[in-house]
Amino acid sequence: MKNKMTNPFEQVAGYKEIREEIEVLSKYGDDFTSQRGNVNATVDRYHPKRLNFQVSEIFTETALAKTFRLVPENGYLPPFQAGQYINLFVETQGVRSSRPYSIASAPNQRAYYDLTVKAVPDGFVSSHLLEDVKVGDHLSSTGPMGGFFHNPLSHANEVVYLAGGSGITPMMSMIREVTDRGLKRQMHLFYGSRNPDDIIYKQELERLAEMHKNLTVDFVISEPEDDYQGLTGFINGKLLQERLGDLSKKTFFLCGPEAMYKFCRKELEGLGLRRKQIRVEVFGPPGDVTAQPGWPEGLTADMTFQVKVSDSRTLEVSAGEPLMNGLERMNLELPAACRSGECSYCRVKLKSGKVFHAPGTKLRKSDLQFGFIHPCMAYPLGDLEILL
Amino acid sequence: MSNFDAVVIGAGNGGLTAATTLARSGVKTLLLEQHNVPGGCATSFIRGRFEFEVALHQLSGLGSEDKPGPLRRLFAKLGVLNKLEFVEEHDIYRTWVSDQLDITLPADRKATIEVLIAHFPAEKEGIQRLFGLIYQFAQDMLQGVYGRDPDFSAEKYPTFCNYALRDSQSVLDEFIKDPLLQLTIASYWGYVGQPPRSLSFLDLAMMLFIYIEFKPYHFKGGSQALSQALLDSFLEAGGIARFNCGARKIVVDNGEMRAVVTEHGDQIDTTHVVSNASLVTTYLDMIGEEHLPVKAVAALKPRSIGTSAVTVYCGLDCEPADIGIEVSTTFASISGEMDTMIGSAHSFEKPEGLAMTCYDLADPEFSSPGTCQVSLINLCYADHWLELPPESYHEAKYKYASQMLDIAERMHPGFRDALEEVEVSTPLTHMNYLRTPGGSIYGFTNFAKDNNMFTSHRSPLKGLYHAGAWVAIGGFQPTLESGTQAAKAIIKAIQK
Repeated sequence: MKNKMTNPFEQVAGYKEIREEIEVLSKYGDDFTSQRGNVNATVDRYHPKRLNFQVSEIFTETALAKTFRLVPENGYLPPFQAGQYINLFVETQGVRSSRPYSIASAPNQRAYYDLTVKAVPDGFVSSHLLEDVKVGDHLSSTGPMGGFFHNPLSHANEVVYLAGGSGITPMMSMIREVTDRGLKRQMHLFYGSRNPDDIIYKQELERLAEMHKNLTVDFVISEPEDDYQGLTGFINGKLLQERLGDLSKKTFFLCGPEAMYKFCRKELEGLGLRRKQIRVEVFGPPGDVTAQPGWPEGLTADMTFQVKVSDSRTLEVSAGEPLMNGLERMNLELPAACRSGECSYCRVKLKSGKVFHAPGTKLRKSDLQFGFIHPCMAYPLGDLEILL
Repeated sequence: MSNFDAVVIGAGNGGLTAATTLARSGVKTLLLEQHNVPGGCATSFIRGRFEFEVALHQLSGLGSEDKPGPLRRLFAKLGVLNKLEFVEEHDIYRTWVSDQLDITLPADRKATIEVLIAHFPAEKEGIQRLFGLIYQFAQDMLQGVYGRDPDFSAEKYPTFCNYALRDSQSVLDEFIKDPLLQLTIASYWGYVGQPPRSLSFLDLAMMLFIYIEFKPYHFKGGSQALSQALLDSFLEAGGIARFNCGARKIVVDNGEMRAVVTEHGDQIDTTHVVSNASLVTTYLDMIGEEHLPVKAVAALKPRSIGTSAVTVYCGLDCEPADIGIEVSTTFASISGEMDTMIGSAHSFEKPEGLAMTCYDLADPEFSSPGTCQVSLINLCYADHWLELPPESYHEAKYKYASQMLDIAERMHPGFRDALEEVEVSTPLTHMNYLRTPGGSIYGFTNFAKDNNMFTSHRSPLKGLYHAGAWVAIGGFQPTLESGTQAAKAIIKAIQK
């Protein structure tokens, strides 16, 4: 209003009365000062940015796998949904990196989280965890996250778990929760391993299956000895149909190594299931990106490119490795959580150059339009310039 | 990196328009955002083959190219018009009351009046008179208030002065007898979070007027596309943005802005700060009571924290028509009693109603072929969620969401069976992503006393400005406009 001397709204019917109400409330209204810090305290209870742990125990599961029991340094762990993971930060060989691991323990107790780690050939992080980490060591991680869990709104009460190798860990958390809490869910686990000695949690699974009518466990061995008694081969559509009967009212959860994931996904799709019935855990970068559909011909994994970063550094990365890993080797750490292209924590803007996103990367439509990439699943196809 | 003319805290709607306006005027600006994507509420997330729209239900104030509304003009000034594609909705909404009412209002004054009269013939005269009043009111508002008429007076603008601060229920009672017709006309109350008995007529009349005259719109790519376009324009103008980088502290010296300290401990010197964070956390957590004039803290006392929401994001493996969804926006209720509806916002008891948005009707490309996306939203305060022990949270969340799905199923049989992806957000989710007290999505409550006739947005500290729902009524158009206003004030101050 041009005339600053009088407030024209004073002429609005009811204005004066509301002014008076405001005067009263100024004396007796809410005292916001008591709420200082409340928002952050609540967020920390559910979604703390960092969890700091001490390793309290280490259990040997198989020749290749160990379980690390992690207790919180501040005495508190946030709730999670069985099947979710944390991204564990490590420093090894002078490089800071991280890897997501599913929480294997049940969510109904939060005194500790158990992580089961299986040796990956040439695994940069897994070999460090399995060989170097000792009881009493300190570790840190993100809070729990991820979308691989039983959602009672859309998932059936009859569930089928297809696990391979360390892919059993999210299922183990689900199975432990259902059996611990006596939930009514009907569970059938198909767990593929190379040989019987590779089966993680073997005794516990057998014991739980014996005690609980709603849990059936089928171990499937791909490289059995001649005298092995039990299911052998790969988990395929035929086996599922034989063991399960009617599939139409079931939800399938799949988590395993790359080869199994590819094989089982096809088998499941061949069973005429609706897409909603198939739940697949996110999958990290592929073993060999150059074998993926869409990878440009003639570009080999060992080719190297220059990445110009907005802080004026120029770093060398190779085509066959996710940009995030390459940058970490050059001591540039990006925010990371899922390392599978779904959480978008690492999202950066590509100012120039081209990248290849591994299959399964979840880019928003507008990320494509405005040139944002997910470096944890993006491979350089030439020199790049990125904006951090 | 350590010295800027202005630092904008938060890349929500208000923060983005503030930052973009500043950078495009040559002000050296840093934009800080704690999350990894821009937008605040104006964002999306991906589950399976669906990219879910988080918050936009109907964009108001855009208008067409031929008849541009205030928002289209704002987008042009911010350099984002050519970066965006818009989709127009032809109906304002459908109002559905179980077993009692199912009516859809076109985004056209004459056609809406006709539909209302066809459903409620006995109320013909009242409907016509009420819409006459709404339009006369809007005329007064545009000319007298927005137009800043120097000769503003009760004699010149009697409709505005008589009706602006009346509660909507009493105005509805004056013209309309049938409670179902009242509910139909007042359906937009949910966008403000106040049922008609505590919703100013100003808010109800202007919402109806703006949506009918400028039509409801959506963005191709959802509201995330808007946020990205604004950020793009900001970066093009030389602005610097940092994500995963929240502001922890605003350093004040002698009542003036000195610096902003990030969550990583970096100190950025600046003399101008736009906070897109909530007024409450900006004052109490970032600045600290001890650095504020007593008056500023006292000015919070008459305010209260506004509503949050529970939203059920549904990805369906069918086309909308397969389960009978024909209108983008539906306000649904079981009993048709609005007071019961807002009452259930304070408890885990069975929800009485909800708003449903299907994004694929206006934009068939919104989801992949053979699928569609629907969001169910219910306004909800945070108190009872805050009281939950964390281990009970997920169960409470799914139980409440399931009851909302019951309403959708009742309205559209087959809805539940078609669910391929479902995600639920609660007041605690909003608190995490927005860092607002009570997870508020609309800032403070929006009673008549909270109208900007009564609230001063003059900052208590030199160099501090606010943008977003805490200094505007909630929603896209007001928050977008608030950021530009804050930026203009800074530009004026710098030029002095």
